[in-house]
Amino acid sequence: MDAGHLENDGGRIIAASLNAASVKFGALTALSDITLDIEAGDFWTILGPSGCGKSTMLRLVSDLVPPASGNVEILGKTTEAARLAREFAFVFQDATLLPWRSALKNVELPLEIGRKRGIKIPTGDRTPLELLELVGLKGRENALPHELSGGMRQRVAIARALVCQPKLLLMDEPFGALDEMTRDHLNLQLLDIWQATGTTILFVTHSIPEAIFLGQKVLMLKANPGRVKDVIEIDLPLPRDIALRETPPFNQYCSQLRKLLEEC
Amino acid sequence: MSVSETLANEPAQKKGLSDQSRARLINIAIPLGTAITLLLIWQLGVRVFEVPTYIAPAPTDVLQVFRSDFGLLMQNFWPTFFESLAGFFIGNMTAVLIAVAFVHSRLVERAFFPIAVFINTIPILAIAPILVLIFGPGMTAKVVIAALICFFPTLVNMVRGLQSVSPQALELARILSASKSEIFWKIRLPSSLPFLFSALKIAATTCVIGAIVGEWIGANVGLGALIIEATFNFRSPLLYATVFLSSGLSVLLFASVTIAEKLIVRW
Ligand SMILES: Nc1ncnc2c1ncn2[C@@H]1O[C@H](COP(=O)(O)OP(=O)(O)OP(=O)(O)O)[C@@H](O)[C@H]1O
Ligand SMILES: [Mg+2]
Repeated sequence: MDAGHLENDGGRIIAASLNAASVKFGALTALSDITLDIEAGDFWTILGPSGCGKSTMLRLVSDLVPPASGNVEILGKTTEAARLAREFAFVFQDATLLPWRSALKNVELPLEIGRKRGIKIPTGDRTPLELLELVGLKGRENALPHELSGGMRQRVAIARALVCQPKLLLMDEPFGALDEMTRDHLNLQLLDIWQATGTTILFVTHSIPEAIFLGQKVLMLKANPGRVKDVIEIDLPLPRDIALRETPPFNQYCSQLRKLLEEC
Repeated sequence: MSVSETLANEPAQKKGLSDQSRARLINIAIPLGTAITLLLIWQLGVRVFEVPTYIAPAPTDVLQVFRSDFGLLMQNFWPTFFESLAGFFIGNMTAVLIAVAFVHSRLVERAFFPIAVFINTIPILAIAPILVLIFGPGMTAKVVIAALICFFPTLVNMVRGLQSVSPQALELARILSASKSEIFWKIRLPSSLPFLFSALKIAATTCVIGAIVGEWIGANVGLGALIIEATFNFRSPLLYATVFLSSGLSVLLFASVTIAEKLIVRW
């Protein structure tokens, strides 16, 4: 990696760093004084009661809302510079595909935007078609979104997010609207993708088991105003499989987090 | 696969196919049968009650006119056709462009939307003579009237269509640092197409009405002029034939828009 990226004491690159960042909506303080360093390559999950500012935190990092005070840096850049350089990508709760575009054309969208204006668009090692294959949609590249299931659409959205090879992937309850089975399947797939790409992930969820299963670190937020309650390291081996969820250590984490969440 | 299996499968497939085509046939047969029945009732009614032709001609009389006066009908059909089509294109194009301006600038919308509403509230029958006075008895006035009648529904629908983009799609665009014109061409415009087409379907029938109303007021050719002429000369079969031809024109335009929609709006 080139110089200029912030490193922490341990010499690891910091993918995203929030320094006493607050967000206000009028009189409402949605996030207050968040200080946090996300090391590159880590998988963070974010838990917290509804309305505590989880989405707002992702929107702050992705330059969709400005900080009222404090600042946010992504790989040593301002969030705006990082956005222009396509350092991060966002996956929403609903896939937000353009319904008139095929799956492949949707994945290609980030490559098209800015091309005519001569903006340098980073392209990854994988072509859009290979990304669709990576998310298990080989052969469906010409399907329109309405011809795909909810889980498939979300996988197209993930492929689209990966097409510029982002260093930071922001996911706001991406599997929240899916059934249990599909969600399990996509959780495993996401872990594979994370390991295959080495990207940093910030993943918001409402599900305690999902947060533990995916995350290396769980960020617990509390409400009114949104603040960091705790950061819990999940010391479970990688790669993970579904059977892990039946093990005693996993269940211990579950009850620990449930208690913390109740205190929020 | 064995031969017997293929053989066994074949009749089943054939049966499935004939089931499907039978369903389609029924779909066509029911409205067609109803229409034919109504025509028969009309024919019988006119003949049994000996209604004079100038009051209500029998379907056969109307059909007869289509054969004997086909040249006259066509001679009046084409001007109306071109007026309607030109009005359709000009009216909708203007509406789309103004809708784009509205969506891009609140100020433009606030300045011009009340005027658009005002124009829309004037009955077309009241404004038509004014336009004929301004543009003279030629084709222009009819095109303008046809355009005017298309304009408002398309404007309203197009504005709604361009604004129908989900906030999430706009956030996606923002994260990709899309420019205003990229958002317009890649997101807003395609999102508006279903709305545009529902407006175009309305316009396809109203533009013909506009052209005909224009011809009533001052013209010596066109279906509208022929309607007036046939009425005043008590040539009822010709009047009915002209009316059928007018609605035929509307159906033609409506069908064209529907086919275009099927081809373009695939989602
Ligand atoms: N655009 C906005 N304008 C005004 N207030 C907002 C806006 N977005 C969020 N808020 C407020 O900020 C607070 C945090 O909202 P946020 O969406 O971040 O919560 P969340 O943790 O993601 O909740 P959930 O788990 O329900 O998704 C809420 O009180 C919400 O009402
Ligand atoms: Mg949220």
